[in-house]
Amino acid sequence: MNEWLQNPLIMTGVAIGVALGGILTTCAYLILLERKLSAWMQDRLGPNRVGPLGLLQPLADGAKLMLKEDIIPGHVNKFLFVLGPAISVFTTMLAFAVVPFGPVSHEKGQFPFVIAPGVDLGIVFIFAVTSLAVYSIILGGWASNNKYSALGSLRASAQVVSYEIPLGMSVVGLALLHSSMSLEKILTQQAEMGFLGWNIWYQPVACLIFFTAALAESNRLPFDLTECEQELVGGFHTEYSAMKWAMFFLGEYTHVITISFLTSVLFFGGWHFPFIAEAASAYPGAWVVKVAVLLFKVSCMIVLIQMLRWTIPRFRFDQLMSLAWKGLIPMATANVLIVMCVLEFNLPRIWLFPLSVALFVAVGLIGTQASLPAGGATVRRKKVTAPVVAAAHH
Amino acid sequence: MNSLLEQAPLLAPLALGILAVWMLLPREGNRAWIIAGLCGVSALLWLTKNFLPPTDNVVQTGMFYAFAAGAVLSGVMMITESNPVYAALWFAMVTLSVCGLFLINAAPFLAATTVIVYAGAIVVTFLFVIMLAQQGGATGYDRKAFQPTLASIAGFMLLACLMFTLQEFGGKAIAVEEGEDPRMPRPQFILPPATVMANPLSQPMPRKDKPDQNDLGTLQGVGRSLFGDYLFAVELAGTVLLIATIGTIALAPRRSQGTL
Repeated sequence: MNEWLQNPLIMTGVAIGVALGGILTTCAYLILLERKLSAWMQDRLGPNRVGPLGLLQPLADGAKLMLKEDIIPGHVNKFLFVLGPAISVFTTMLAFAVVPFGPVSHEKGQFPFVIAPGVDLGIVFIFAVTSLAVYSIILGGWASNNKYSALGSLRASAQVVSYEIPLGMSVVGLALLHSSMSLEKILTQQAEMGFLGWNIWYQPVACLIFFTAALAESNRLPFDLTECEQELVGGFHTEYSAMKWAMFFLGEYTHVITISFLTSVLFFGGWHFPFIAEAASAYPGAWVVKVAVLLFKVSCMIVLIQMLRWTIPRFRFDQLMSLAWKGLIPMATANVLIVMCVLEFNLPRIWLFPLSVALFVAVGLIGTQASLPAGGATVRRKKVTAPVVAAAHH
Repeated sequence: MNSLLEQAPLLAPLALGILAVWMLLPREGNRAWIIAGLCGVSALLWLTKNFLPPTDNVVQTGMFYAFAAGAVLSGVMMITESNPVYAALWFAMVTLSVCGLFLINAAPFLAATTVIVYAGAIVVTFLFVIMLAQQGGATGYDRKAFQPTLASIAGFMLLACLMFTLQEFGGKAIAVEEGEDPRMPRPQFILPPATVMANPLSQPMPRKDKPDQNDLGTLQGVGRSLFGDYLFAVELAGTVLLIATIGTIALAPRRSQGTL
């Protein structure tokens, strides 16, 4: 029995099965959760007809999507039209391969809690794979042969390329602090340092940048300019229906899960929690507690992401670009500089917290002051009245 | 002339391959797909004899052939495609195949960064520009190649020089030096120059966390090499990029000038 378990393929296969099953089930219920949360925030009831409290709604939705007529419109480029949703699911699922979802074990014959253990690149691998996810939107939108879809995919390409820069730069500070890019090592080092070792105490600004940029990469509200119902009908998925449409959203929800896992693992100590899940805790069933702690943190992140949807309105496109290029990228660069100074001069690491807060305040002040017109309200009034005066002359 | 004839095993398949590409280049009327395809495949098969993969591991050899064939075929498709969107997508395929080659040669960091920069950003920007520029479909002169014959000849000469260098100063030279049969496949493709002192910081060192393994290809190894031996090159590249960024901002028209 044990020898049979030693085969590396067995445990990897089990890990893939667990991760895939977990993600697919979670995605289905995330949609229900999203609808329930939306209803709660808008003072409605939400879906409550199928099963007790509407809990079987995902099954009904799934059956509907499967059985719906799968239309490929006549004017589309068929190959790319089908390839788009496939890339969406494939890339987001592949990114999950290096995300640890429990206490990672390298022992042979034990459940590894990560599909590909010991990947040195870790976070770089995730960035590489998820940067390919934009092809799904670009190809889907372009192949639809529809102006609205093409506009949606144009927006997607500009948005994703811009937000990849702050996303990558936000984790440079972490790599410097932990001298590693491997998610497992970053997690273990945080767990060994205890509650005060969580990266959120040292890199709060990096956490904010990472979360914002990752949200923008997943094309969810407030960053869903690619769909943007009011302007673009449905954006890149206007022509899609049934299961192909659902695959785009399977990709999006998988992306949300991956972001939540990454934020928990990189900044909130992963499975570590004081007293109940320490690095040294080895009581029977410790791994259950650790997995539960990690999943709890992940659920908190997911709920936060879904509540942001109804909290922050969608950005305008120039606001979106200004946020990336004038806000997040300089902030991320300054953050890396701060980390380098603290490490170079051997300051105590807790200095990073006040410095990060100061950076955030400074960027906020500069950002709000710069967006005001020079000279304050008088100039603005002049600008508004100017065309009226000009019209009066005619 | 004799020395050129000696190189026939290298030049003949190359000429065949270039002929295939020339036939496939976009032009008016029909292209000879079948003849060109046969020419190209036979040229590739002919050449594989000269450049065997440097390993006897079956899986690795198979992956090498898969990625290498993917890179070459996607490259040919890229330059022979008349639709620019497809050409950009084939370029992405070339990049991904080359990244596969990087991966099987224990350079995962290089592979990941190439995917991020090329497939994830540059090709996406190409697609962005193409989609913006080609709203009404391609015009007539976009659908055929410009100077196909000259381009094919130039490509042939470039490839011939490259392959000749690899063959003469690579595996064959090592074999002659070690007194072995130069026609046999060699484990090492390029001879490291003996006169140049090897980069001291780029040599493999024991890993910090696993002392029994060396850190060749890991992030630590790549970082030590980049910021040790190649520090000046890295700093210079960074400075050039910074200057380019400043230049772009300086060239871009201001909002007050009315274009943005």
